[in-house]
Amino acid sequence: MSQGKTLIEIKNLEKHFGKLQVLKGISIDVHQGDVLAVIGPSGSGKSTFIRCINQLETPTAGQVIFEELDLTAKKVDLDKMRQKIGMVFQNFNLFNNMTVIDNITAGPIKVLGVAKEEAEKQAMELLARVGLSDKAKEYPIKLSGGQKQRVAIVRCLAMKPDIMLFDEPTSALDPEMVREVLDVIRDLAHEGMTMIVVTHEMGFAREAASRVVFMDDGVIMEENEPHEFFANPKNPRLKDFLSKVL
Amino acid sequence: MSGFFSFARLIQVFERYHNFFFDGLKTTLYISFFAVLMGTLLGLLFAFGKMSRLKVIKGICSVYIDIVRATPLLVQVMIIYYGTLSLGWKLQPTELNAFFWGMIAVGMNSGAYMSEVIRGGIGAVDAGQMEAARSIGMSKGKAMRYVVLPQAVRNILPAVANEFVTVIKETSVLGMCGIHEIMFRSGDVASIGYVYVETYVIAACMYFILVFPVSKLVGQLERSMNKSVTR
Repeated sequence: MSQGKTLIEIKNLEKHFGKLQVLKGISIDVHQGDVLAVIGPSGSGKSTFIRCINQLETPTAGQVIFEELDLTAKKVDLDKMRQKIGMVFQNFNLFNNMTVIDNITAGPIKVLGVAKEEAEKQAMELLARVGLSDKAKEYPIKLSGGQKQRVAIVRCLAMKPDIMLFDEPTSALDPEMVREVLDVIRDLAHEGMTMIVVTHEMGFAREAASRVVFMDDGVIMEENEPHEFFANPKNPRLKDFLSKVL
Repeated sequence: MSGFFSFARLIQVFERYHNFFFDGLKTTLYISFFAVLMGTLLGLLFAFGKMSRLKVIKGICSVYIDIVRATPLLVQVMIIYYGTLSLGWKLQPTELNAFFWGMIAVGMNSGAYMSEVIRGGIGAVDAGQMEAARSIGMSKGKAMRYVVLPQAVRNILPAVANEFVTVIKETSVLGMCGIHEIMFRSGDVASIGYVYVETYVIAACMYFILVFPVSKLVGQLERSMNKSVTR
């Protein structure tokens, strides 16, 4: 796989919730253009890990260095850094009080200061890309899960992020809608978007990822390029896990 | 005089003393309006105060809210009215003084209740909304203003309407400290002619014509805001 410049450096990341230690020292680098799939059993700390990257969870120890800035440092302007780190949530989290188009333009207009007209034009282009032009004026409640998630992805893209984080983007979807969302993510991957995807979709990890990471018990147990990862798993916990899900 | 209630007598009382009733209605209306306004502003202040990260502010707001909610409005009104009198904080004329401090007392009382309503409304907005807003780079303030508060307002509208209605009705205790609102004026009328039931039925009608439109209005507002939450 091509090795672009290092975009994110994660060093000895730890997270405790009270007495429970969820992350027990995670270190990994993400390079430009990487598509990192993170798999593992529930409770292994995958979601906490990805939420620690954009500091939605504050790590207890360790560093997250994004574009040469340590996000865990006290003085860093997180709002500014988050503009470049998109995040797609399991439960979509579209703004319920806004129409689809307003959801997409909220970031560019209120955060980046883009003119309304320009933001809307860009939003319509992005909506067309995911086949939802006709839903621009709808409120999120009228959309299906798959449509909501596609809008959520577009909302991220409107900020022109350098990296996108996907936290189980298809886990809350009905089975027939998983595909439409994965197709969009796969297209983005092909276009060279750097991304970290926490997922239970093994097929997606195998085809679209450039690297696959197996997490269990708060640590990274194995990391490899997808073919080797699935063909020759080494860690016994990974072997066990794969035998259950494949 | 005979019978417990006579409609003819009611008409008679109203015809003779309608100025008293409308005067009282006007005073009740003014005082409710300003008290509701003050209650809402104080409610916002205390709601954010209680959610503050600063322990001192949080503590002060919590104590205030607890005390106000655990004591009767009438007692609060008396303490504020006589308290300010003895401090010499007196406005002229006397009637304006009573009006002013009565309004302050009701507003301060309402603020405590309103803050709990507002806090509940903000708390009821799914945490994912705030997270999504923060994740695209909005500051906490922007996320509150553009995403969380608009949804909280819709959540709390029925409870706020209830609080408005409660405030209007509770101003009825203000007659006790000499404010010429509906109850005070009705007391005047009743004691002039010794006609009690009919007089207070008229008072009830006065409150009804104040409160009923408020609750209807808010109902309408709620329906128009429901566009984004119904399929």
